[in-house]
Amino acid sequence: MSLRGLAILISLLLLTFRASAGLQWDKPLQQLQRTPADGAVEARFTFRNVGSAPVTIRTLRSSCGCTTARLEKKIYAPGEAGEVVARFFFGDRTGAQRKTIEVRTDEAAAEPVVLDLRVHIHDPLTITPALVFWKRGEPGAAKTVQLTAAADQRVRIKSVTSSNPRVTAKLETIKGGEQYAVSVQPVDTTQKESAEISVQTDFPTDAPRIYIIHARVK
Amino acid sequence: MIARAARQLALVLALALLPALVSGAIQLQWRKDEPLAPGEVRAATVRMWGENVQWVDARTRAKYERTHIPGALLLNEDEWAKLVGPFLDAWDADKTLVVYCDGGSCDASQAVAERIRNELKIGGVHVLKGGWAAWEGK
Repeated sequence: MSLRGLAILISLLLLTFRASAGLQWDKPLQQLQRTPADGAVEARFTFRNVGSAPVTIRTLRSSCGCTTARLEKKIYAPGEAGEVVARFFFGDRTGAQRKTIEVRTDEAAAEPVVLDLRVHIHDPLTITPALVFWKRGEPGAAKTVQLTAAADQRVRIKSVTSSNPRVTAKLETIKGGEQYAVSVQPVDTTQKESAEISVQTDFPTDAPRIYIIHARVK
Repeated sequence: MIARAARQLALVLALALLPALVSGAIQLQWRKDEPLAPGEVRAATVRMWGENVQWVDARTRAKYERTHIPGALLLNEDEWAKLVGPFLDAWDADKTLVVYCDGGSCDASQAVAERIRNELKIGGVHVLKGGWAAWEGK
């Protein structure tokens, strides 16, 4: 192969290894703490084009319909900075949440970048289990549900109320503000039953929350 | 001169073709044998289970109302508190639950399956590998 041919070949190979990191992200992983009352959280993922050519952001793809991602514009000149603003709406989610946004650019050899938003939504009260059920015909023995306040929280249970008189619920205080038990029992298990047991708390003080225990005879 | 240029072009193309073929073969194989994550199940397996399956649709209400797997129950985290009661009323304890969402990078089915297992303490919950797209055979 002549020198010119070799040069063409090397150029072609180099093209396939074109600079793949035009956009440099400051904090592609963000971890936040929130409560259900916050309802939503916003995270800003900032970046800079550190390459020598303009970069076009083609798509932002969120892992969840609950998370939106917005960009001021699509094309970023060398040296220019920008940000992706992600907004995660909690809905009825609690606990550890991970939402990702996949960013694809026009850089031929670049792998998509995955922006990672991790939010812990602290529920002040944990109910275990949230469902008690019996099969029809089985002994209708009482089943116990544990209510536990989060370590840094005091949550008092004011009352428990069953929506169905054929399913009873009895509250027991184990340690006020911290630990309670609810004993749930159907009158009998001869027929299908459905009950929602409302657990009235005193937290938060401005709008105390009601939690639900589900009871079924199936 | 032309013959030499043609030879060089053929050589360059051959060099480019080789990695392309290897990459294509690897990707096709990967798609075929992509391993299942814990709790996941393939659409073909669920089809074999027949009537003993209760589908759970973890997508949004709008998508569920547009179309869903026949008999699927709607249960998602956006409206968990509102949907979980009706879901439990319809739930058959003798059936295996299989949760699905859109597929691709969607994580709603894993999240809903986890809440069914952890909060409701219902066992035997699976997640459909590939989600709705896999069900449609795409």
